[in-house]
Amino acid sequence: MVILPVSTGLIYATSYSLGLTGLMSQGFTTAYWGEALSSQDVWSSFLYSFWVGIVSVFIAACIALGLALGWQRSIQQGKLSYFIFLPLCYPATVMAFLVHQWFSPSGFFSRLFYNLGIIDNLEAFPIVIRDYYGIGIILCSIFLITPFFTILFSNIYKNERINELENLSKTLGSSVNQILRRVTLPILFNRSKTTLLLFVIFVMGSYEAPLILGRQNPQMITVAIVNKIQKFNLNDIPVGYAMSIIYVLIVIISLNFSGILKTFQNRKISNI
Amino acid sequence: MKRIFILVCLISLWSCKTEEPSSKIDLSNWENIKEQGKDQEISMMMWMGDPKINAYMSDYILPKIKSEYGIDVNIVNGQGNVIVQSLMSELQADVDESEIDLVWINGETFYQLRQIDALHGPWTSVLPNSEYINLENDFIGKDFQQDINGFELPWGNVQMTVIYDSRKVDSPPKTKDELLAFVVKNPGKFTFDNHFTGLTFLKSLLISFAENPNELYGDFNEKNYRKYSEKLWDYIDKIKPYLWQKGEVFPENVAQMHQLFASGEIWFTMSNNDSEVDNKITEGLFPESARAYVPEFGTIQNSHYLGIPKLSKYKSSAMLFANLMISAEAQAKKMSPEIWGDGTVLSLDKLPEDQLQYFENITSRKHAPERENLQKFALMELSPEYMIRLSEDFRNKIINQ
Repeated sequence: MVILPVSTGLIYATSYSLGLTGLMSQGFTTAYWGEALSSQDVWSSFLYSFWVGIVSVFIAACIALGLALGWQRSIQQGKLSYFIFLPLCYPATVMAFLVHQWFSPSGFFSRLFYNLGIIDNLEAFPIVIRDYYGIGIILCSIFLITPFFTILFSNIYKNERINELENLSKTLGSSVNQILRRVTLPILFNRSKTTLLLFVIFVMGSYEAPLILGRQNPQMITVAIVNKIQKFNLNDIPVGYAMSIIYVLIVIISLNFSGILKTFQNRKISNI
Repeated sequence: MKRIFILVCLISLWSCKTEEPSSKIDLSNWENIKEQGKDQEISMMMWMGDPKINAYMSDYILPKIKSEYGIDVNIVNGQGNVIVQSLMSELQADVDESEIDLVWINGETFYQLRQIDALHGPWTSVLPNSEYINLENDFIGKDFQQDINGFELPWGNVQMTVIYDSRKVDSPPKTKDELLAFVVKNPGKFTFDNHFTGLTFLKSLLISFAENPNELYGDFNEKNYRKYSEKLWDYIDKIKPYLWQKGEVFPENVAQMHQLFASGEIWFTMSNNDSEVDNKITEGLFPESARAYVPEFGTIQNSHYLGIPKLSKYKSSAMLFANLMISAEAQAKKMSPEIWGDGTVLSLDKLPEDQLQYFENITSRKHAPERENLQKFALMELSPEYMIRLSEDFRNKIINQ
């Protein structure tokens, strides 16, 4: 049921990008693909999206790991859990606006630092919104996905009985550092690597946060595609579709290389 | 699984099939239109980003059309590209009738909708109130240098203004040289957006670099575009390091620019509605000290229009609705600064005595410049291809550098 709409959408986008459909279509052409593939803008958008995705997931995973291991007991219940899981209630757009209100040069923290005398004027606040490194988008993504990772790590810790393995290692004379490096982290990483990669793709494909917190150059791939499809030139629409197909191909190839598709296939076969 | 797949395909195909329109209506006879159009329910797609405009529509226009013709109008939010995408999808899907019966558009959207042949027309001359429209005025009769040819109905007329905070700016820059000197002296306080309003500002600058604006008016001229855009990009290059965030990034749209202005991050914003400064002060978004002006190098004046999609099933109802919106009473009400402040498209010279009265007691503007003072700095909209080229070159030559 999922494959049908996705595949028809991909077929439509492919035929649009090849000039086979669309009201402005003038017959088969590879010109739009040529334009998309040779555009430096397109490739820098892919790299930028990958950077934002990988950094966001890495930082969020580190924070979640700290929370899951540090507060094992109180994380699933009590007031602390409300605080940690509160961001789960926030839609991406709301979180992006919150980050904007907190960290923009005229935002909450800038005014707070100014009133505390830490900075001389509001403009002296470091630029983290619409900045070159995508810090605003990364912050927003971290706020959104850290609770997911905290739940994930906490559950793996419990289900895999890591606590018992840690105790066993301790009785065999391992140091805290050795237990963490040789027992806890490898198990957690092995069990969560698929999810982590899927979240990199999820962040790469996010739209609202980059639209509100990002800049025009470099630009996240989703925003670049929508701009191509929706701005002033109707002849750019097929180029936008070509870009989206390239993005899909890159995601499929990455998943294939990482073995995720194989894992899904194996699960499907074993279910049958 | 295979059966389910085939079933879903069949259901999808079946759901695309719609019934043929029940009747063909003669749209050249107003009495027929009145008869056929009343007591229907129609949809209008328009930008709903301004509470005052929304209030004008919901509190005045909608009750009036309901009481006069029994027409219920469902207003749907969407502008420019959303309208084009919606109508384009309907045409591509080969549906028999559109979800939308009336659209609020101008220039570049009109150009795109004509490119894909999505508009019904010509239809405007049938409306009784259309005889009072000032079509002889090129700012109304032409849309982005294109003849409207009855495919869209003029609804309002506006001119771009630059808005500034008078507490921070004693004397706003009036010429290009003054603007350059101002931004160098006050870095980070001026910018323009990366969308329609910013491009309109760039178009105004482009025209100001031409020895004679007529060189850029009319159809797109590659030679003249190259000649004057080179000067434009040289100028933007000079001011870029002193723009907001050193010109490395631009607000994505005018709403973002208004927010930056309201928070004091920048001292200038812009608007394509010359009375917007009053509206935004009343709403509490802009400070009381906000003022609007037009620089001496001029700004674009343009009109906005109403169009009927080719696939609309309720064209006669849409025409009744459009006729009401260009009535003297509705136009005068829209012109009041406290209601909207939108310029009329009617020629007061053509209006009969009994309808002129509506325009007699319109309150004057508070902080926005009077329309008659703006006219001498009014520049015409350029052909849509200029906007496409400016948008591409702005990205390649300014943003990406």
